Amino acid sequence: MTALKKTLPIVLFALAYAVIAMLVTNSYYQLMLTLVLVWAIFGLSWNVLSGYTGLVSFGHAAFFGIGAYTTVLGQIHFGLTPWITIPIAAVLGGIAGLMVGFPTFRLRGHYFALAMLAYPLALLYVFEWLGYQELTIPMRRDAPLAFMQFEDPRAYTMIALAMLIGTVLITRMIEQSRFGRALLAIKQNEAAAEAAGIDTLRWKLRAITVSGAIAGMVGAFYTVVLLVVTPPSVFGMLVSAQALTVTMFGGIGTVWGPVIGAVILIPISEILHAELGAKIPGIQGVIFGLAIVAVILLAPEGLYWRLRDAWRGRKRDSSPVPPADVLADGEPRGTQDGFASSEPGLRPAPQDERAGSGRDVSRETILSVQGISKTFGGLKAVQNVSFDVKKGEILGIIGPNGAGKTTLFNLLNGFLAPDEGKVMLDGRDMIGKRPHALCAAGVGRTFQVMRPFLRMSVEENVLTGAFVHAATDAEALRRAKEAVATVGLADVADRLGGELTTKQLRLMELARALAGQPRILLLDETLAGLGHGEVGDVLAVIRKLAATGITIMIIEHTMGAMVQLVDRFVVLDHGMVLVEGEPHSVTKDPRVIEAYLGKKWSTHADA
Amino acid sequence: MTTKLDLTRRALIGSTAAAIAMPSIARAQNPAEVKVGLIVPMSGLYARPSSVMRMGAEIGIDDINAAGGIKSLGGAKLKLVLIDCGDTVEKAKNAAQRMVAQETDLVAATGAYLSSFTLAVTEVTERAKLPVLTLSYSDLITDRGYKYIFQTAATASSQSEQGLPELMKLAESASGKKPKTVAIVMDNTATSVATAKALKEKLFPQLGLQLVVDEVWTPPLSDATPLIQKVRAARPDLLFAMPNAVSDAKLLVEKMNEFGLGQGRIPTISFSITIAEPDVLQSVKPEVLQGVMTVVANWGFKGHETLIAEVKKRYNEPWATQNVISTYGDMWLMAAALEKAGKADKDAVAEALRTMDGGPAKFYPGGQLKFDDKGRRVGAGVTIVQWQNGTPVTVFPKEIAVAEPFWPKRG
Repeated sequence: MTALKKTLPIVLFALAYAVIAMLVTNSYYQLMLTLVLVWAIFGLSWNVLSGYTGLVSFGHAAFFGIGAYTTVLGQIHFGLTPWITIPIAAVLGGIAGLMVGFPTFRLRGHYFALAMLAYPLALLYVFEWLGYQELTIPMRRDAPLAFMQFEDPRAYTMIALAMLIGTVLITRMIEQSRFGRALLAIKQNEAAAEAAGIDTLRWKLRAITVSGAIAGMVGAFYTVVLLVVTPPSVFGMLVSAQALTVTMFGGIGTVWGPVIGAVILIPISEILHAELGAKIPGIQGVIFGLAIVAVILLAPEGLYWRLRDAWRGRKRDSSPVPPADVLADGEPRGTQDGFASSEPGLRPAPQDERAGSGRDVSRETILSVQGISKTFGGLKAVQNVSFDVKKGEILGIIGPNGAGKTTLFNLLNGFLAPDEGKVMLDGRDMIGKRPHALCAAGVGRTFQVMRPFLRMSVEENVLTGAFVHAATDAEALRRAKEAVATVGLADVADRLGGELTTKQLRLMELARALAGQPRILLLDETLAGLGHGEVGDVLAVIRKLAATGITIMIIEHTMGAMVQLVDRFVVLDHGMVLVEGEPHSVTKDPRVIEAYLGKKWSTHADA
Repeated sequence: MTTKLDLTRRALIGSTAAAIAMPSIARAQNPAEVKVGLIVPMSGLYARPSSVMRMGAEIGIDDINAAGGIKSLGGAKLKLVLIDCGDTVEKAKNAAQRMVAQETDLVAATGAYLSSFTLAVTEVTERAKLPVLTLSYSDLITDRGYKYIFQTAATASSQSEQGLPELMKLAESASGKKPKTVAIVMDNTATSVATAKALKEKLFPQLGLQLVVDEVWTPPLSDATPLIQKVRAARPDLLFAMPNAVSDAKLLVEKMNEFGLGQGRIPTISFSITIAEPDVLQSVKPEVLQGVMTVVANWGFKGHETLIAEVKKRYNEPWATQNVISTYGDMWLMAAALEKAGKADKDAVAEALRTMDGGPAKFYPGGQLKFDDKGRRVGAGVTIVQWQNGTPVTVFPKEIAVAEPFWPKRG
């Protein structure tokens, strides 16, 4: 049913476009109809990589140009028809994508964008050097159909439309599957994605391969339409920019973005050119540029998102329940429970709320940290740290700012490799494994700084973490639903990430880690930024998780909340283990008090 | 959606307009006006040379109409339709498609300055059976076996083959010895690459010239110092400088002057009109350019005096480049084809151009108003232009030269 609902707009669009194209007899307008589709497809190709992963490519002309030259050289030198060379161009574009991606994915952010810029520019010079400054597709009057040289220009529009539908469906499939989830997760936070069990490099390589293949295909077709190929017309900066422009204008990270962008921008640019070009030469570029600037300012993420937000906003306004009430989670704040948990030091928590009770903490060691050290230059962030984690226990890692707590977590889940020491999970050494592999082995984690996917619903957010052990997308969805229910967010499962409160976000992060079915969960300052009443709610969820047998390691500053939660503390200071033990004894240990508060207070405590 | 609806509406209007226009085509026996097109890059990087082409076209149309229009069509007047083909191949293709779809009563056109654009435009016009004249040089334009393209200029390969031996003769007669060594500094645009290929593979061996410096840059040139240093070190008998951007040309001649190689210390020859454009004088002193030569497909020559005066008067252009002369000539060539065809029909005009035998060409150097099977003008020659006292003047061929060439004396 939903599949039908989602495919229906595409089918309607294609039908409407086809009907319009069939009615247009003017060859010039028909050419515009073809080019709109060409640039929409190219925008979609860019979108598959850059829209979903957030790694902006300024170099998609490289794949486009390879496709273009495949067609023209194929026909000139080997007499191959575009019917054959267009698929070949797609394959070559894909291979080029893989070859470009492998070295370039070592870079991130602006560095990636700039490195990508280099490929088409280099290819431009290579093709000029090869003597391919101007090539034309030989006219085949003898076999026009076999060589895609149609008398009726509507045929080109129909082929382009078929290619667009194919590309939209591929993009849709990617978007709906774990492929798309992985890319979105990479876009939001590559580190978090790795930690959620996503092999980011593999997915990025797949994305650039698909993207390159689509670009190669459409570049090849473009040549068939244009008939003339010059290096600047297919490898030029403007070509790469065209993909960015239509996508950014229409909407990044959605199937409709490039389509909307191309449908609006290509005809406008051409109409301006036709109407003004011969009268006030150059003015068309000025007007076009200003229009794009205006739209980007008003709708920074593109028209599609702007319209969708407006549409959603209107729907919300007309709904009977005011959103503010729902957002507050319907729970009155400052309950007795909240008061108690916010001031734990004043009133000892009731014994039955103590974490240790009612759970089996096994004798068995699940994780053994053996003498690990990590230095950054001269800073010894973690020095010779050793401790064991028992199956099913809640272990608190505390220590003052800069004690090395987060570094320790980064060592445990594979973000960092230790300089020395071992991390044994179930007796197996996990050193050198990448985060996604550790996640697959059962180590889940949350982050100090939350990175929710703002435009995705709670359930979709959680789903990104659910693919690690799920064989099918359906199974992942089921696990995501379970995780959402476990943390108590079932009521707001459809709400967008951007609409949640801090507490709900923390719970959502917890659910995301949980969906990967970890055996051991690393929680990095999960209570940070929570209001007084909210801490207790989150603690309750953590206890619930522990009760299901998940081992939990948690970093926290606030001693009060931790004392109620954990079975045992490891106190770090200056990267070393200061004390290890039961909450009761640790909080009274003068060394701990000194580390937190200074010498004056430790002596005070002794007294 | 609005855009698409708009498109169809426009299409409908277009076809209605065509339907209304039908009767006027029907009474083509005596039309009031015959439309011819000028499709050139009016906007973008190549706007300047195109505006010069427009001058030539406008004067040409006025002169033809003033002389009584097309007599075989009862004195029908010519009307110029200007189409901007933009600064990319895609825009050129779109503009050409627009031209053939919307300006259905055009009988011929000329364009499109850059050979890449001409290639794209003529892919469209060939299919629409609209005859197009061009001053672009590229051999490829008339190597495709097309029937509706007519190249009035000598092709790139033919230009260097014709020009270089003449230069050698000139050098020998002026300096008393044959040049032996040669340097090339060039950009990597299609024209330069094609010319250099012909020079290196064919002409240098034939003429016994030894290549001592071979430097290529990608425009725009940021600093000419290393290039000119190499030239100075090698001290060749001839320097082929092939810039295609005015700014690159300026940099080269200024740097040469700075290094004491200017004003003919090393005889400098170019193969494009760039180095002889009026714009060059905006930042380079005329003395610096003295003696620099270039081989071009066309230039203001003997017999063009009134035209050159008109260009100066109407547009304040100091001299007439290939773009003015050729485009002016194209208008007369279209008029002649219309006279011959006897009807305002593009296919008839194309056929008239194919079978034309119009005698010696007045507005193109050498040869005749006659085209071979490929659409190349029979006997298309070249002109050699030399900077003399602040003006580039035609010095070869002798019959049409307006000044005597001088061979710079080596210091």
